[in-house]
Amino acid sequence: MKLQVLDKAEISPLVEALMEDYRVVAPHAKGSKFTFETVTDPADLRLDYDTTILPPKKVLQPTKDRLATFTMGEIPQIEDVLEVTPTVVFGTHTCDLKGIQLLDEVFSRDFDDTKYTAQRKETFLISIECLSPCDENAFCKDMGTMTANEGFDLHLTELDDVYVVDAGTEAGEELLAKYGSAREATEAEKQELNQKLGAKWPKFNYKLNFEAAKLPAMLEASFNHPIWDDMGERCLACGSCTTVCPTCYCFNVADEVDMLLTQGTRERYWDSCQLEEFAAVAGGENFREGRAARQRHRLMRKGKYIYEKFDELGCVGCGRCVRTCVAKISIVESFNTIYNGRK
Amino acid sequence: MTKENTKVKVAFFDFASCEGCQLTIVDALQTHLSLLDVVEIVQFREAMTEKGEDYLIAFVEGSCNRKSDEERLFKIREQAALVVALGACAHTGGVNALKNIQPSLQETREYVYGDKADWYEVYPTRPISAVIDVDAFIPGCPIDRGEFVKVVKNVLLGKRPGIPDYPVCVECKLKENVCLLLEGKPCLGPISRAGCGAICPTYGDGCEGCRGIIPHPNENAMKDVLDEAGLTLNEIMARFTMYNAYQEDQIETAEKTI
Ligand code: SF4
Ligand code: SF4
Ligand code: SF4
Ligand code: SF4
Ligand code: SF4
Repeated sequence: MKLQVLDKAEISPLVEALMEDYRVVAPHAKGSKFTFETVTDPADLRLDYDTTILPPKKVLQPTKDRLATFTMGEIPQIEDVLEVTPTVVFGTHTCDLKGIQLLDEVFSRDFDDTKYTAQRKETFLISIECLSPCDENAFCKDMGTMTANEGFDLHLTELDDVYVVDAGTEAGEELLAKYGSAREATEAEKQELNQKLGAKWPKFNYKLNFEAAKLPAMLEASFNHPIWDDMGERCLACGSCTTVCPTCYCFNVADEVDMLLTQGTRERYWDSCQLEEFAAVAGGENFREGRAARQRHRLMRKGKYIYEKFDELGCVGCGRCVRTCVAKISIVESFNTIYNGRK
Repeated sequence: MTKENTKVKVAFFDFASCEGCQLTIVDALQTHLSLLDVVEIVQFREAMTEKGEDYLIAFVEGSCNRKSDEERLFKIREQAALVVALGACAHTGGVNALKNIQPSLQETREYVYGDKADWYEVYPTRPISAVIDVDAFIPGCPIDRGEFVKVVKNVLLGKRPGIPDYPVCVECKLKENVCLLLEGKPCLGPISRAGCGAICPTYGDGCEGCRGIIPHPNENAMKDVLDEAGLTLNEIMARFTMYNAYQEDQIETAEKTI
């Protein structure tokens, strides 16, 4: 498809039109921060947001998600809950887009997670290019996520008067044709786009002192590094860093039954490797009892383990874990400390 | 389990407390009618006059503040197959335990009871687990009614009560609250037991740890973080001790001051 443009005034009508057939989830202001919420009024949409507290993965992997209902009588019956909500996520940044691509792999490569994939099939992603870093914690430039060529259905880039719209999939093209009133980009607009994309590059800083591709090998040699103890001393094990991470996907599953033991529900909810009980098993054993071991596990996941399993680094550089940590533990600083001190 | 004669007999008792937790139970009985399909209440001073002594589960609200109260607790323990500490006072000693960390118990007593101080028997506040064995606790000031229902259900099923061991921050983040600590406002969320749905931060107030502290908290890091948020040492200690002042080793020290 040729590059299209949407007048800025056309965003609200597009969202409004989409809302007829979809749940539209987009950034909204919450106090001094932003969160992805279901749009009820397109005027509340904040495409100028910096970052959100939780990433948009919550659309695909809800914080609490019903998997099944069951009855208990003589012959117990279990029924999957597979209803999905057709959804458009409007305004994801490219780091989060990459996060979703990684989750897609996680939930489908070895095992098809029916619940996730069902919702994923009915979810369309309209992303937006960041023309400057969301804040000083972003390190998307290091992680190669400060822009995107794929992973979106539609991708927006803001110019002075219009948004350039690039379609990444046929579904995206159809959405735009059906709900939007875009026109083809003029030569001048294409030039402005190139100028904006070029001008953005120097505004982003590298935060790692080394190439991210070196992470797996570097971490391989760092299992007994003293930094883990240092992090363990400072870490409160509050779990916030994993809760806010777009690539964390761990969950727990629990059944709830009614008082009379006649019926119940099975739900899955987000879990965190930073919590003490996470690696505890029957019999009282805990594989990662100390906070140091848990912090090491988190960073190993981001820089090594996920790469070994899915051929992609498990961190997209969104900076959320750094922003959220009340103990000021920074994955960037930790990686740099290991790099700077290596022999 | 639905038949009348298979209902589990339960009783409620109160010690030093505001009875808010029992009021929450009166509420729960109205919103979760099915509770009465599985339990029969034989004693509940707050809600009925009859007094049955053949209970299987005892819910105890309040902390123990008098030597003479111990006897009552022993009797409850003897009768009940399961003793459940109900609410912060019974669970951690609650706000009552603040008296344990005053310089002199005798002075505190005089401050409260004036010239009649000696009429009132008192000793350092104890959570009930310091007096008798406790099988389960339902934390909070006051307790959460949904959690009460859940614990009753789990206990009847022979399962663990299901009280979370993770901190309030988990629930707070899932609600996408703007973090108070990061805005320089005090909050004990990182070391306090979750289960309340982070209700205080959700309404803009820092957590005070009414549900007790999680197992193995990083207290030093918490102090550093509160210090960073601009709290003085006194303010930090006031936060820490609001609901969690009781410590076993204070008892001896406090007892010497009376
Ligand atoms: S980390 Fe980069 S891509 Fe992500 S929101 Fe910030 S600036 Fe945008
Ligand atoms: S957010 Fe910080 S304090 Fe909390 S678990 Fe993560 S590293 Fe530890
Ligand atoms: S590890 Fe931190 S910076 Fe990396 S993706 Fe997760 S939250 Fe973002
Ligand atoms: S407001 Fe309190 S409970 Fe919520 S995330 Fe911040 S420190 Fe944790
Ligand atoms: S947020 Fe803290 S003080 Fe408030 S109810 Fe929960 S545990 Fe208690």
